[in-house]
Amino acid sequence: MALRRGPAPEHNDAGLQPERTSLAWGRTTMAMVVAAAIFLRWMPHHGWFAGILVAVTLVTALAINLTQKLRYHRAVRGIASETVHADVIGVLFTSASVFVLGALGIYTVLFLPVDG
Amino acid sequence: MATSASPTPDPAPGRNKFSTRLLRGGTEPDPRFTLANERTFLAWIRTSLALLAGGIAVEAFTTELFVTEIRKTVAILLLVLAMVIGAGAFFRWLNVERAMRHKTPLPLPLIAPILAVGGAVVAAILVVFVVLRPL
Repeated sequence: MALRRGPAPEHNDAGLQPERTSLAWGRTTMAMVVAAAIFLRWMPHHGWFAGILVAVTLVTALAINLTQKLRYHRAVRGIASETVHADVIGVLFTSASVFVLGALGIYTVLFLPVDG
Repeated sequence: MATSASPTPDPAPGRNKFSTRLLRGGTEPDPRFTLANERTFLAWIRTSLALLAGGIAVEAFTTELFVTEIRKTVAILLLVLAMVIGAGAFFRWLNVERAMRHKTPLPLPLIAPILAVGGAVVAAILVVFVVLRPL
């Protein structure tokens, strides 16, 4: 794990809040990869447009994964100092991404013909 | 406490402008609660992703099972539900965070009954389809 490098901050929270939160983000990226795999089924029918859905899903998952360490350290420091600033950007970005995927999916179902 | 004459009281240095604007006033809640709220948000997002994948799967895998109208109706219902839950998760998270900052009771989750009713409607459509399906 990349978390081992450098002076990783420590906390003494018996509830392991930073770990649980980090794992929750990790599970979410996995759910995104699964969704992206299902979007792949559309590619034979809808070609590059389905590719956009796959790309949006994977880019979101990748963005979350690349910021995992940052988020974990923020949570650990927050527990240590008794203040965590709410992650408005991360939450809004994730929510918006899922919303856009839903909209693109509806567009595909309604307006793109299935030629299979 | 309320006698501060500062024109721009910033009780939370280190926060960016955007989050200061969305989460105005109050005091920073217990970090455990903030993290718990974040995890609950993520659970809703995963629910939304499951609905999204479900909607896509119905459209992609059931062309030989369902007539076009049923297939598209179910797929779109699931995708709309995914959008509502996905966006609703953010507002739910925001409202809970605000309530915690101001030490007010947590709001009821509106997306919970939406999910329940939406799921029931999709299930009902499928039941009717199965019952009326010619053998």
